[in-house]
Amino acid sequence: MDELEAIKVTFFQECEELLADLEGGLLAMQDGNDDGDTVNAVFRAVHSIKGGAGAFGLEPLVRFAHVFETLLDARRSNEIPGTPDLTALLLRASDVLADHVSAARGLGVVDMDASAAMAAELKAATDPNAAPVAAAAPAVVEAEPAFEPAPVVIGAANELLGDDALDDDDLGFDFQPMTITLDAQAADAAVIENVWTVSIRPKSDLYRKANETGLLLRELARLGPVQATLDDSALPALDLLDPEAAYVTWSVRVETDQGEDAIREVFEFVDGDCELEIVRGEAPVSDLLATLKDAAAPAPAPAPVFEAIVPSLEVAPEPAPAPAAVEASVIAAPAAAAPVVEATAAPAPAPVAAAPAPPPAAPSGAKPAQIDVPGPGQSVIRVDPERIDRLIDLVGELVINQAMLAQRVGEYGIAPSSNLAMGLDELEQLTREIQDSVMAIRAQPVKSVFQRMPRLVREVANMTGKQARLVMDGENTEVDKTVIERLSDPITHMLRNAIDHGLESPEERKAAGKNPEGVVRLAALHRSGRIVIEVSDDGKGINRERVHSIAVKKGLISPDLVLTDEEIDNLIFLPGFSTADKISDVSGRGVGMDVVKRSVQALGGRISIASRPGQGSTFTLSLPLTLAVLDGMVVDVAGETLVIPLACIVESLRPKSEEIRPLGPSGHVLAVRDSFVPLIDVGVTLNYRDRSPAATEGVVLLVEGEDGSRAALVADAIHGQRQVVIKSLEQNYQQVEGVAAATILGDGRVALILDVDAVINLRRREPPRPADPTLIAAE
Amino acid sequence: MPQASSISVLVVDDQLTMRALIRNALQQIGFKDIREAPDGEEALKQLLAKPANLVISDFNMPKMDGLALLRAVRSHPPIRQTAFVMLTGRADRELVQRAVQFGVNNYCVKPFTVQGLRDKIEQVFGQLT
Repeated sequence: MDELEAIKVTFFQECEELLADLEGGLLAMQDGNDDGDTVNAVFRAVHSIKGGAGAFGLEPLVRFAHVFETLLDARRSNEIPGTPDLTALLLRASDVLADHVSAARGLGVVDMDASAAMAAELKAATDPNAAPVAAAAPAVVEAEPAFEPAPVVIGAANELLGDDALDDDDLGFDFQPMTITLDAQAADAAVIENVWTVSIRPKSDLYRKANETGLLLRELARLGPVQATLDDSALPALDLLDPEAAYVTWSVRVETDQGEDAIREVFEFVDGDCELEIVRGEAPVSDLLATLKDAAAPAPAPAPVFEAIVPSLEVAPEPAPAPAAVEASVIAAPAAAAPVVEATAAPAPAPVAAAPAPPPAAPSGAKPAQIDVPGPGQSVIRVDPERIDRLIDLVGELVINQAMLAQRVGEYGIAPSSNLAMGLDELEQLTREIQDSVMAIRAQPVKSVFQRMPRLVREVANMTGKQARLVMDGENTEVDKTVIERLSDPITHMLRNAIDHGLESPEERKAAGKNPEGVVRLAALHRSGRIVIEVSDDGKGINRERVHSIAVKKGLISPDLVLTDEEIDNLIFLPGFSTADKISDVSGRGVGMDVVKRSVQALGGRISIASRPGQGSTFTLSLPLTLAVLDGMVVDVAGETLVIPLACIVESLRPKSEEIRPLGPSGHVLAVRDSFVPLIDVGVTLNYRDRSPAATEGVVLLVEGEDGSRAALVADAIHGQRQVVIKSLEQNYQQVEGVAAATILGDGRVALILDVDAVINLRRREPPRPADPTLIAAE
Repeated sequence: MPQASSISVLVVDDQLTMRALIRNALQQIGFKDIREAPDGEEALKQLLAKPANLVISDFNMPKMDGLALLRAVRSHPPIRQTAFVMLTGRADRELVQRAVQFGVNNYCVKPFTVQGLRDKIEQVFGQLT
């Protein structure tokens, strides 16, 4: 890939982060954190997007970002006041900016009318005294700013278009570049070559272990001339002094040619009992920063050193800004530690996969691991995901191999206490650790999915006339990348549903004594080896009477079926169920919660809803942390070994003959408590055998398909529950109906993983369907 | 005439993209020893641990902005002679003025060309080979 193209890819990845920072900052502003740091972080995000876009000549993006930035700049310098209306406008503008970014990377188009209208609104807000602009009227397309982006440049290598454009650096004063020679620098730098500053911060343990700092200082003095400064500022008054505590610190200037290692050696015996900072040069950074902050307090004079080197500078004719103001803005920066700012600070916080999948342009040829080191202590390695996938595959093989070995050893009757068996135990432990560590590489915080949601909530709320505020929790919960990619749809659907069906209109809420603004909460957490996503709202809750009557009317359940509240709530997951009185744009259109449930189950997940009338509903979605392994039940069918996903299995039974009833010419149903479920012989469905043996001789597994339909699968024997590594059948052979994938068992045999839904559907197609819907309905 | 390849540069910008672009431009000019820092504080730490001949720094960065970095560099004797080129978004007069006060060697307006950047550096070190 062309290097600049590669940088462009980085730019778009960075844009994602910047847009998230922007939104985060704006939401913080919405919550009342309107301080300078937050506003500046918001400004910086837009400014950075504009800067990068300018370098790549993405003009529409630059143009829009510029108007946006101008408004933020005005807000930043308090030219205009911060109001909820302004923040709302900025949030909408951030959505348009995001659209521009997407369009620039070739993913979608921007509604230019809407963009121009937004630009006009931003402009009007920047200069409230200007003639009012009809904000919503797209007629003012030409109202786009008069900003002319300087021609792009860094672009095409050495193509020096429009260098002249840079001559517009009209500063209003004469700028003289200050020349410097390398020799001068070298002479200066040599000064510090053999000077070290050692900061020693003893902990009380150091003294407790009978060490003494005096001895350490004497040791240091052996390396060369030392100059020790004691800092006793932390020393309390005598009556407050804890005789066993450590209060003092030393800063020692050492001149030595022996290097850092020699200095470190002095402190070898107090390792861990004292904080040590060794810096080449005069003073450690922390001191320097502290000096800077101290110096900034009143109206300070420039440091003498500094005066010494800039005496020849022509002072600008304009009166310089009051020094105090300058200082203030200088120290404001180091103090900028608001979380939002921190987020911007980390150059690439999420290692491997924070970046969305690279655009399709990424070549599939040679893929060197691209390593970039943003700075010591926070190096991040960007690795091609394919390399990790391969590693995960290999670890899968390792797990299988280890299981095989263990089984063989068992078969040979080797005592568990023997060296061999114990060695194997260790191997098993190691294998597991490797598997966990490797899976952790591909793990990614759910933030990348969550950060798209505030916008969705805004848009849905707008469309439905509801007022909604999104509260997010647990954005840093990590889950395998393969799972993360598929979280987006269900979450989107659940949020839409929560706002559209869950929340009441502002008027209704007011009438019910609630805050007109509804709260939708999106949370992620880990619970017993799975990731749990919760979407809750403080709306009206499920109208059970209506849900029940709709389910009956649509023939989904029989009218006389008695259901618990929880069961009624979960009826909304039945296919073809939609409670909306009229199909809205938002949720509805026949695509209901059943689709969500199906896609969740396809991932080995579960979804449920709990609701309290008048107080709201909570959707709970739980997914396995990875799609690379699966918890399965290993069973025997007609001499073949099969794995049935544990997530589908409700219970296992040994049926009695009176519970089995014939249905139609060849079918049977099994009575399970008060309902009937079709009895399916897996051996027959998969063509292992022609006729099924009596179900009473085997074991029956009651399974539930993705759509909630149940069936009783007949197997010959159950071997037990096992975690298996999923191997795609399509990649290695071809798709087989009724089979989801394959795996390799401990004894080296291949076992097929059953696709429970396909098996249920296969069976449905063949014999005549049972006429009574209660037979297949959720009990 | 100094050789570009013998000049060490520290690029300071909070944006990965900008750092990559500047690094790319510097490589085209002939620089070899190019380091990066995402903010002023980190840059200062790096400089104190291992000085550089030239700092090319953005202005608006979290933690410690370009002006504060410039000021810190100038007030610390061992590295005070480091050449300092400030990057500004547009020709921001006030910003450049303040930078001049603190002893900036040159400034460069974004977006810039490879040649433009080269010119700015040559105005400080003399013609590069």
